[in-house]
Amino acid sequence: MTSTAQRRKPKPLSERPVPYDPEADPPERLPGSPVVAVRNLRMRYGKAEPVIDGVSLDVASGQVVSLIGPSGSGKSTVLRAISGLHKPDGGEVKLSVEPREMGFLFQDDALLPWRTARQNVALGLRLRGTPKAEAFREADRWLARLGLSGLEKRYPRQLSGGQRKRVALAQVLALRPKLLLMDEPFASLDAIVRHHVTQDLLQWVEGERIAVLLVTHDLEEAQALSDAVYLLSRGPRARISASYPIDIPRPRDLIGVRGHPTFAPLLQRIWHDLSGEVDQLGGGI
Amino acid sequence: MRDALARAWARQAIALTTLVLLWEVCSRAGLIDPFYAPPPTVIAMTFYELFAGGTIWEHIAATFSAALLGLFGGLLIGSALGFAAAMVRPLADVLEPVMILLNAIPRVILAPLFIIWFGIDLGSKVALSLVLVAVLIFFSVYSGIREVDTRLVERVQTLGGGRATLLREVYVPSVTAWVMGSLKVAVGFAFTGAVVGEFVASSRGLGYLLSFAQSTYNAAQTLALIFIIMAFVLLLFSLAGRLERWLLHWRYA
Ligand SMILES: Nc1ncnc2c1ncn2[C@@H]1O[C@H](COP(=O)(O)OP(=O)(O)O)[C@@H](O)[C@H]1O
Ligand SMILES: [Mg+2]
Repeated sequence: MTSTAQRRKPKPLSERPVPYDPEADPPERLPGSPVVAVRNLRMRYGKAEPVIDGVSLDVASGQVVSLIGPSGSGKSTVLRAISGLHKPDGGEVKLSVEPREMGFLFQDDALLPWRTARQNVALGLRLRGTPKAEAFREADRWLARLGLSGLEKRYPRQLSGGQRKRVALAQVLALRPKLLLMDEPFASLDAIVRHHVTQDLLQWVEGERIAVLLVTHDLEEAQALSDAVYLLSRGPRARISASYPIDIPRPRDLIGVRGHPTFAPLLQRIWHDLSGEVDQLGGGI
Repeated sequence: MRDALARAWARQAIALTTLVLLWEVCSRAGLIDPFYAPPPTVIAMTFYELFAGGTIWEHIAATFSAALLGLFGGLLIGSALGFAAAMVRPLADVLEPVMILLNAIPRVILAPLFIIWFGIDLGSKVALSLVLVAVLIFFSVYSGIREVDTRLVERVQTLGGGRATLLREVYVPSVTAWVMGSLKVAVGFAFTGAVVGEFVASSRGLGYLLSFAQSTYNAAQTLALIFIIMAFVLLLFSLAGRLERWLLHWRYA
């Protein structure tokens, strides 16, 4: 019990050893064991034509996979299917983690308005049986880590959009998920904060070797963070129309990665393919 | 901010004083008929007499009991029905049309019926006041639950919350916000029910005194009673406001 608690305590980012060293790490902690496998997924809302049809993708532990595509193509819908919020209309979602080991960071930053930042972050921990005092301490640690010290007792309406987003991120990370689903998580952050939070997250993900499925519309971000990028075609009946493995070694640095020789050419290719999907709408966005 | 508030208060006080003075002067000068609008000093005297006699308290107590019992009963029954309707679909199919109908009609027309059913004592006044409040609260709770922010529901679900957690963390707080939004209206309704009930038939209460004053064309007493009722409703309004601020502190923080 104590040892589990000890082990589960997150180390401050600065103290963590350099992550991802295949030589030093035991094989079972290496990337490769599938965490989620989506097969031929079909999803529809009500009686309408399926939004997505035949989507397949894999995310392994230690892997960051990005999902990009025209807006309205069904990216959020894929995440909703994996999270279990919506039952698939066809196909399947195979998970090798428990539902409680999944974290879902939503597109918007809706927090419980009647709970403080600390209470919001502690909620998931409380639901997992952590005693209140400990859950609050843990919540405060995560808030501090995301640069929100001193704001623990604020209510969501007393926080800026970017601060709310970070509280939402703390809420999810505090559960130390093995699979992290993120829906355009950083869209609302300003450039500097965005850079810091993203870099922080990158380091965290590489260190903890969790599986991440990231929906984003920022192609550079997708490439900088991911091991693979999937392109979802224009809906309805959207499917994966292309995938791009990204072989840039980890650990990565958010700035440095952009200088990697494959970065610019691949960015151009993905951009070209995505534009192709959007163009089919009949002229521009 | 505080300055602006103080200035607004000052302006209101000046306007009120001017109005009262004007009224007094016009009434005394015979510009307006004191029979219809007795001068404020006369109303003040009537006030004094009402309270000096001591019997007014009995009537205030009667009206207050009816209004408060109706208010709490209405809150309780309205919430219970609203909650049940939102949770059990078939119940909603039955309850919703009834409530819509009750909401559409001026519910005070039920007063004579309640007097036949429950007699001229407290019961009929409580019933009227209760119906007025319950219908209002039913819709607050019903829509509060049905129009709950689904994003919050999903958030709590993905954090691992079940039904009990959803109820505690999402539904109860959001319904509380809705109900608090109509609490002041409910207080007004509760008094409307009690006073109208007394007005129609009773032997006690401010509504009874009002109907008595009216039957003797005593404008001074009528006005004095109206002011008394206003004062009490305002008092309860401020209590309701405090309760709202306390329960919804996250909104005012
Ligand atoms: N709750 C819903 N009810 C009906 N249609 C929906 C719902 N959510 C999304 N859709 C539709 O499904 C499609 C895909 O939506 P979404 O997955 O949110 O796209 P993306 O995240 O790629 O922008 C859109 O056409 C959208 O209108
Ligand atoms: Mg989306």
